[in-house]
Amino acid sequence: MTGKNNANEVNWDDYLKAYYEKPSSFKSWSGYDIKEIYTPEDSPDEKYEEKIADAGKYPFTRGIHANMFRGRLWTKREVVGIGSPADTHDRLQYLVEQGGSGLNTIADVTYEMGLDADHPWAVNEVGLTGVNITNIKDMQTLTRDIPLDKVSWSLITASTAASVTMAQYIAVAEDAGYEPAALRGSVQNDPIHFRYCGFRPASPLDLSIKLGSDVMEYCTRNLPKWYFTTVNMYDLREQGITAPQEVAFGFGIAMCYIDELIRRGLNIDEFAPRFTFYVSCHMDIFEEVAKIRAARRMWAKLMKEKYGAKDPRSMHFRFAVHTAGCSLIPQQPLNNIIRVAYEGLTAVLGGVQSLHCCSYDEPMCLPSEKAHLQALRTQQVLAYETGVTNVADPLGGSYYVESLTDKMEEEILKVMKRVEDVGGMEEAIRTEWLDHELESEAVERQKELDDGSKLVVGLNIFKEEQEKETPLGAQRVSSQSAKQQIEEVKELKRTRDMSQVRDAIKRIRDEAGEGKNTIPPMMEATRAFATTGEMLGTVRQVFGYSYDPMNIIESPFD
Amino acid sequence: MIKGKKKKIKALVTKVGLDGHDRGAKVVASMLKEAGMEVIYLGMFQMPENIVKAALDEDVDVIGLSYLSGEHLIFTPLIVEEMKKNGLDNVLLVAGGTFPAEDIPTMEEMGIDKVFRAGSLSESFVEYIRDNVKE
Repeated sequence: MTGKNNANEVNWDDYLKAYYEKPSSFKSWSGYDIKEIYTPEDSPDEKYEEKIADAGKYPFTRGIHANMFRGRLWTKREVVGIGSPADTHDRLQYLVEQGGSGLNTIADVTYEMGLDADHPWAVNEVGLTGVNITNIKDMQTLTRDIPLDKVSWSLITASTAASVTMAQYIAVAEDAGYEPAALRGSVQNDPIHFRYCGFRPASPLDLSIKLGSDVMEYCTRNLPKWYFTTVNMYDLREQGITAPQEVAFGFGIAMCYIDELIRRGLNIDEFAPRFTFYVSCHMDIFEEVAKIRAARRMWAKLMKEKYGAKDPRSMHFRFAVHTAGCSLIPQQPLNNIIRVAYEGLTAVLGGVQSLHCCSYDEPMCLPSEKAHLQALRTQQVLAYETGVTNVADPLGGSYYVESLTDKMEEEILKVMKRVEDVGGMEEAIRTEWLDHELESEAVERQKELDDGSKLVVGLNIFKEEQEKETPLGAQRVSSQSAKQQIEEVKELKRTRDMSQVRDAIKRIRDEAGEGKNTIPPMMEATRAFATTGEMLGTVRQVFGYSYDPMNIIESPFD
Repeated sequence: MIKGKKKKIKALVTKVGLDGHDRGAKVVASMLKEAGMEVIYLGMFQMPENIVKAALDEDVDVIGLSYLSGEHLIFTPLIVEEMKKNGLDNVLLVAGGTFPAEDIPTMEEMGIDKVFRAGSLSESFVEYIRDNVKE
């Protein structure tokens, strides 16, 4: 009997320990002591109207809409970006066919850096982490047969290249007969945060504020349904920081753009309703919900009290969640499905507007089609089976969650005060204060895993031998697709009318030099087949930077 | 005498190509320093030629590559070839990051001595380096 043999190998002392086991820590993920029980004394309700209020009412702690998901489900928006524009288009359509409700495409490293597909640094990496759009034809391929006035498209280009992405997208839409005012969706356009994702050469601070704000200003005036930035606190959190730091640093960066838009003469209520955020949901369910509730309350106050917003929509903290990629591990990878399910639940309990659930293979490769579908199904199970869509802010009124929300607010304020003390966010960035904060926290996170003060199944407890195969198969990126895209760009550069390109580039140079908004001349230039690298390089030169962020190629227009 | 006690181990930690995910590389550099090694952190935007040149100039015992953007099968052969060309046979080559399980044997066949996936504890790579630096 095999059962008997196995039984002989069981260590019953270990079993006994497991039977009587108590949790080893009573701290939240971000390191705050949590009490055994919370009572009315921890969250007195006499300030309900002022501090909490019903969903849909200032300060929106409980949600930005009165009926939340009864009005509309969150957008099920899985990120897609793989190989060529055509490959990415195919995966996008596949997910829509399977019930995905938002389109979401991500730039690869080469596009984020503002490099054309044929750039010497790009040729090895085109399409490995997303999609490269070098010229208007790539954008046409990506959007082919998709009704741009019906869909909501999230364009994830974060760096200064977001300006080029917007110009390419609007130009393609207009040429296909769509009114820009009908376009619905968002562009990530948060070049400041992108410095901390390794893209510093493509995101100098002054150029980040200039081009980021150009997109915001242009969209405010011409694309009323478009969300022109998704301030990305998620990526900051992925660097290893705590929940309060995530919100505080994210708010600090958002205020850099807001201050610039006001300086340009826009009124806060003209543009604030189109601000959105990208938020992480990490593994501590209640801390993350409390963080989101605190962020909503604080953003509303900030908009009303600091910036004098009058329109309630300006005070809405509207956000997408990306489940925490850094919480996933390649060891026993199917467990990631469970982690993502909890994080997705957390996002919904927090009142999310749009959700990307990571695929289980996130710490190994780009999502395979099966893994992508499984991630979408995770959202669908959540939406249709669990009952979480019935009620707004189901955790509101919990002594614990209300108390933890107050705690998060207090801690976020402390971090914001520290940023103020070093001279504000721009100064914190210039002096690399923020770099040091991120780096020291990342080392702390590793030490917590090393010494077991944070437990992760399969990593520092219940370890097993490494699997030999990726359970649903590993996704590969077609090298053929990349080669073809590179060849097509070379061919385009040989055959286009160079005098038209020169004129268009000159207009970008002139208007950027005069301090005008760069989006209109970029739209004209992309129609003349000027490329991503050429348009961005020209603006870079105007601001005193090298044409090529990698310092390899010279401008062909000098 | 125990290996690695003779002199301070010198490690070069670097990323390759455009990959911007540098949290892991920085953390590994810090943990190696805390373990008593001397660390040259070359950082981002390095090509095989720069990496090998720095390894030669600094006379390192180990090169640590950090890959998180699916570029490991493209750059590994280029680095190994560059190392061979420059006679760096006695330098240990390790890599860390995000890879499908299927690629680990491939990377080792290509010439990486040991692959550490995301989720590795510091003890595992510190000990491996201490035990395996070449004479």
